Amino acid sequence: MKDFEYFAPKTVEEALSLLSQYKGEAKIVAGGQSMLVLMRQGLIAPEYVVDIKGISALDYMTYDERLGLKIGALTTHRAIEKSPIIQKHFGVLSEMETNLATIQTRNWGTIGGNLCHGDPAGDPVPVLMTLDAKLKLKSLSGERMVAMEGFSKDILEVDLEPDEMLIEIQVPVPRSHTGVAHEKLMVMQGDAGIVGAAASITLKSGNGICEDARIVLSNAASIPLRAKEAERCLIGKAINEDLLTEAGEVASKEADPPSDVHASAEYRREMVKVFVKRAAKRALEMARLR
Amino acid sequence: MKGEPKELRLTVNGKVYELKVKPKALLNDVLRKDLKLTGAKRGCLESTCGVCTVILDGKAVRSCSVLALQANGHEVTTIEGLAQGDKLHPVQRAFIDHGAIECGFCIPGRVMMAKALLDENPNPSREEVKLAMQGVLCADSGYVKQIEAVEIAAEKMRGGE
Amino acid sequence: MQMEGKFTLKAPIQKLWDTLLDPETLLSCIPGAEKIERIDEKTFDCVVKQKVGPISVKFKFKSILSKVEPPTHIEVDGEGEDIGKAGHFVQKSVVDLRQIPGGEVEVSYRTDATIVGKLAMFGDRIMRAKAKKVEEEFTKALQERLKNVV
Repeated sequence: MKDFEYFAPKTVEEALSLLSQYKGEAKIVAGGQSMLVLMRQGLIAPEYVVDIKGISALDYMTYDERLGLKIGALTTHRAIEKSPIIQKHFGVLSEMETNLATIQTRNWGTIGGNLCHGDPAGDPVPVLMTLDAKLKLKSLSGERMVAMEGFSKDILEVDLEPDEMLIEIQVPVPRSHTGVAHEKLMVMQGDAGIVGAAASITLKSGNGICEDARIVLSNAASIPLRAKEAERCLIGKAINEDLLTEAGEVASKEADPPSDVHASAEYRREMVKVFVKRAAKRALEMARLR
Repeated sequence: MKGEPKELRLTVNGKVYELKVKPKALLNDVLRKDLKLTGAKRGCLESTCGVCTVILDGKAVRSCSVLALQANGHEVTTIEGLAQGDKLHPVQRAFIDHGAIECGFCIPGRVMMAKALLDENPNPSREEVKLAMQGVLCADSGYVKQIEAVEIAAEKMRGGE
Repeated sequence: MQMEGKFTLKAPIQKLWDTLLDPETLLSCIPGAEKIERIDEKTFDCVVKQKVGPISVKFKFKSILSKVEPPTHIEVDGEGEDIGKAGHFVQKSVVDLRQIPGGEVEVSYRTDATIVGKLAMFGDRIMRAKAKKVEEEFTKALQERLKNVV
């Protein structure tokens, strides 16, 4: 690893000042579980490193019955996984975290770091997209809110200016009769996943017709892909087995998956069919219970 | 200034150390090179194998993926800190007695994972033990003896026999 | 890693051929190109920079025109490495130009590249996605260039 100049701010303001001062040449390191791997391999060599792991003010989770969930950017994956509040109200987040990397990675790595890294194979973004999450970004010039959906721009590129920091993730309370599930094809539990699918189904109360559906894929394109055509197969209909199969097939056509040592693009496309169906089916079952 | 050494103060196995390290130094580097605690190994160097695992503030972490300066003011436990004099920690004892050690390279990291697990959860299910063991790769064994050893140690620590 | 593609440009085939082999053109049309220097009749010395998110690579490589059949067929052998030591590559490309009706030329190419080093480990999925983008930018720039020249 190349040498760098190192700062360990203790407050958000300090960190933002540093980012503003070294615009573009400074890289944030939080848990370092993604950044340090790249730096060790010599793929990134920043001149200035702003280590924000010590900003304890960003390590929190709050829940309000009306306003929903607010997660500080430096909350660790493990904290989210184990949180009783999350397990009770947003179980899919805890479930997703259980399959994310390993315990050691989750103990030190942060949700903010994961989102800002922008890996299209990542699990949190698709789940947060189905949950309609919003992100609070801050710089010295002010704050802005971004929908989780618009945050990913390209492989390893997100909508974050060089002088900005992710502060908080906000997840609204799901509508009633909504179920959310996450499924991922893993060779070993915790690996990056061949493909993954997050699905949210909302049913109209009374007649069980699908009022809303969201399907988001991981590792099926250069960003987490929202399979809108597949969603349209389900919305407004009484979902049955055939429709779920159709949604899977439509999603697989929307996908543009990569080909690498783990799987070919064709195989990933086939697996999109299977995993979209599995996730949507589970989401449907959960929606019926709520 | 680039690479300028910074003050690092951390507690390792109950002892306080004060030293100056370059910002790019990883926790693994400082433990092995500066503090001569070579129990935490260096394996893949890309955060996939886990043989570098130590306990930081009660949590198992991969020391190859933590900047040493991030441990500033924190507490680290390594394999060297488990035994009390000649008396081995129950996990160490169980690994030896149950024949769970083959070449030994993954063992320090694995024992630390087990300790972190049992400190947090004295009565883990088999699934939970497996998950903890999964965090450190073993190229020799089939993990079976190691999982059993952890369960044996857990029972011992709970007061059983 | 194998990549192939096709694109159509509006230009007389001879003009396109000349333009494709002109270092000045390549320098201005290849995204991230910093240096394309013709050393001799067959050899080019090149430096190309690329970025994927926070990862930047700067490739220094030599390209040799191993087979040249104007104005329809070129074979290029390249070898080079990333200046930051992130990877080393060997590559062979075949480019064919074909006149099609409407005053257009269809350019089809096929590249076989072997990459070793961290870039290869890190993911050919990333490079593949990037390669597609580079192709798109290149053809757009080339078309612009040809518009002004014809």
